[in-house]
Amino acid sequence: MAEAAVNIKELEKNQEWWRVAEQKRSKRLDYLRKAVWKKGAVGGLYAPGIKVDLERAGLFTEGYFANLNDPGMVRHAKAVANVLDNIPIFITDQAQLVGYVGSAPHTISWLIEGGSLLNEEVYNEPGIAPEPEAESLKKMAAMMDKWNGYSVQDRFIPYVLSFAAEEGVKLLSGAVGWGLPISISGYNGKDYEYILTAKRGFEDIIAEIDRRQEDMKDKARKKAGPEYLHVGSRMMNWEGMKIALQAVIRYANRYARLAKIVAENYETDPKRREELLRIAETCERVPAKPQRNLQESLQFDHFLQVVERFESGGGAWPSRPDYYHGSWYDKDVNIDKRLTKEEALDLVGEFMIRAHEVGSFFPRWTREGLQGITGTWVWTLGGVKQDGADACNDLTVAFLQAARLVRVSNPTFAFRWHPQVKDEVMRECFECIRQGLGYPSMRNDPVLITNVMHWHGHPIEEARTWVHQACMSPCPTTKHGFQPMRMASATANMAKVVEYALFNGYDPIVNMQMGPQTGDARKFKSFDELYNAWAEQLKWLMNLLTMSVNFGRVMSPEMCPRSFLSSISERCVESGQDAASPEGDRGNSWITAFTWVENIDSLAAVKKLVFDDKKYTMDQLITALEANWEGFEQMRLDFVKNAPKWGNDDDYVDDIMLKCLREAAAFSRVIKDPSGNNWPILPENVSGNIHYANIVRALPNGRRLGDALYDGGISPGPGLDKKGPTAVLKSCGKINHITDGRAFLLNQRLSPTQLSGEKGYQLWRSYMHTWADLGLDHIQFNVIDDTTLRSAQREPEKYQEVIVRVAGYSAHFVDISRKTQDNIIQRTVQGIG
Amino acid sequence: MPLCKECKKFFPVKEDPNKGDCVQRVVDPRQAYYKAKPVGASMDASSCSSFEKK
Repeated sequence: MAEAAVNIKELEKNQEWWRVAEQKRSKRLDYLRKAVWKKGAVGGLYAPGIKVDLERAGLFTEGYFANLNDPGMVRHAKAVANVLDNIPIFITDQAQLVGYVGSAPHTISWLIEGGSLLNEEVYNEPGIAPEPEAESLKKMAAMMDKWNGYSVQDRFIPYVLSFAAEEGVKLLSGAVGWGLPISISGYNGKDYEYILTAKRGFEDIIAEIDRRQEDMKDKARKKAGPEYLHVGSRMMNWEGMKIALQAVIRYANRYARLAKIVAENYETDPKRREELLRIAETCERVPAKPQRNLQESLQFDHFLQVVERFESGGGAWPSRPDYYHGSWYDKDVNIDKRLTKEEALDLVGEFMIRAHEVGSFFPRWTREGLQGITGTWVWTLGGVKQDGADACNDLTVAFLQAARLVRVSNPTFAFRWHPQVKDEVMRECFECIRQGLGYPSMRNDPVLITNVMHWHGHPIEEARTWVHQACMSPCPTTKHGFQPMRMASATANMAKVVEYALFNGYDPIVNMQMGPQTGDARKFKSFDELYNAWAEQLKWLMNLLTMSVNFGRVMSPEMCPRSFLSSISERCVESGQDAASPEGDRGNSWITAFTWVENIDSLAAVKKLVFDDKKYTMDQLITALEANWEGFEQMRLDFVKNAPKWGNDDDYVDDIMLKCLREAAAFSRVIKDPSGNNWPILPENVSGNIHYANIVRALPNGRRLGDALYDGGISPGPGLDKKGPTAVLKSCGKINHITDGRAFLLNQRLSPTQLSGEKGYQLWRSYMHTWADLGLDHIQFNVIDDTTLRSAQREPEKYQEVIVRVAGYSAHFVDISRKTQDNIIQRTVQGIG
Repeated sequence: MPLCKECKKFFPVKEDPNKGDCVQRVVDPRQAYYKAKPVGASMDASSCSSFEKK
């Protein structure tokens, strides 16, 4: 025992946190953590042994075509029910929570109904078909053939072509945006206030739907009128919701039955037998009835997440686990003393592991954009309650402690900081950051609550429930506030805006006239001319993306109904609508702005060196850019070194940032989402800065085609923030984080040596005070030294558990591409204090 | 012809003995687990490699 203690101290001293975690966690957590099959793609490829799950695809196909003539939501619900009733289920040794999106732990799910673009990739992906491969491929081909003409994509495209064929081609070019503008891709939030507050279980919702159906039948029969024209479709939608709810209850009961069978027939260890019987009791209880303790509450939540992923892609995982499960922790640990803190920590750690193991098949472009992970699953901790009081509780602390023990790269946390947060909670956040997790990211709660109210008109009590919709965007968890589909499919490769302004809207990478013809930049005589061209290109791009998402949302109830999501949403249970229907929803749309800061540094460089200093002409600049700076290296270095750069508290360039943001903010009020609400921009990247490196041509900030783009929404370019961390904060503080956009991602790298000990904590606290005083909405940290990262590049097998913050998510360092690794190492290590 | 219901791994559903679960122990390279797959009691098990007569 003493030997182990010494060993841990040594490891802590050497900051080998991943090894510290191995030593400190319970045997159960150690087993469960190591039992996970890694589902995130490494270098764009899935790890050996990972197989696509043919069970879900086959059962959904069978259920769908057996009920082809049923109304949309009923057909969909029956297809999902066929999966839930028949897919093989499993219980991992030592597990206390159950539920997975595939038929075995090493499988990833496949949403075959999506369309041929995805299916072709699944079919052609090497090594992914289960053994025997030839037999699987044959089965896959037969299933795919069935969907010809029936998939969401096949049915959706004719509508798009009917009015926007050219725009559709531009979107599909992959040059200017990404995301699928349809609800099957998931990324939805949930009405947690309705479903996770222990006021009701699924049986209660079924009874409520029965009452509503009776009520509508009565009213519609008694009085003819336009208000009841939708009665048939609403009745059918309700029917679909009930089918889904009943199927989920049966699915949970299947786990109860398996746990009992194992306990009574196989298990010899009395303690494990007891655990299995508790699993059985839990799954018989939830989600049919409301939860009564922490295990039931976590299991209820996990069933919601898993079943949602049987009906959609589930790319995001909006969640606020300490808020919705905190009272059960308090009851079990502090009041009833049913669980010790250690036992509760095991449950909390496993809850994270159960999410970490979830994986679905991604097309290659998504794998490149989300290197090493399976979705942007940012769980929200902290914040305030609906009455404004501090919402932090003992479970907040337990989650932060569990994170350091299980060290998963997905889910990650974001912490809603506000002035009432206690020092002990801040210390837990700091400890996670200091131990190199890259999370929690820190969010400014007062700023973001106001932001949510400002952009989308949520009442304050609703705004205070906000969770991260994906990486960054704050969205409430309420009847009118939760987001039912990926409105962030309006995701723009913004560096194209300045590129198109310089090249008259023409894109040689895809060989198309993409943006409007805003004039030959060689002939521009003033910065204003360039800026006006930029603004026109910006508006074109914002409109192109939002138009497609608006249309996708309105078509979603018909194309890909969400019977389960609708059934757990108060708005839909009450009205009989599909969750994607915009009626009664406040919107919560935003445009994710990848590669934003390139615009600012490029515009500033042209203003300074061409129009102010007159050192170069526009003609010379365009010639150099067309040559990808080849033969113009001295000139390129001039544009890198002698033009002002964002992040140095320099008004020259910072004012351009504000002007550009405000141009976007003004236009985001002109374009509207299907709820009639605004489309503010949200500058951030996932690993889009690497994905787009070969798609954005040379720019006036000195970047060449192929160079990594900047890594964050408002992060300065790597190595270009020369004036220290306070200057970075001051630049970012000039932005109005309420009215200038939806949110703004800022990456910072800090020195692990400087953050050690109590002094390190005090330095960080002081830095965070400055951050809060300046009104920034977000910041996240990488605290790991270059030596460790370089060693991990040389000997990846020894550094499997090293985690870094990539952008809006964290990943294991060894799972990201060399280019992304180098990009992280290049980020400036800021000395604070 | 062996039937699923004759196998040790077959556990009938109380409410409908014609249906049941095939419960198997699986050990993969990372973890061990128990797996259940719905089967019919009278399904042909002659090509099942894990069939074990009761």
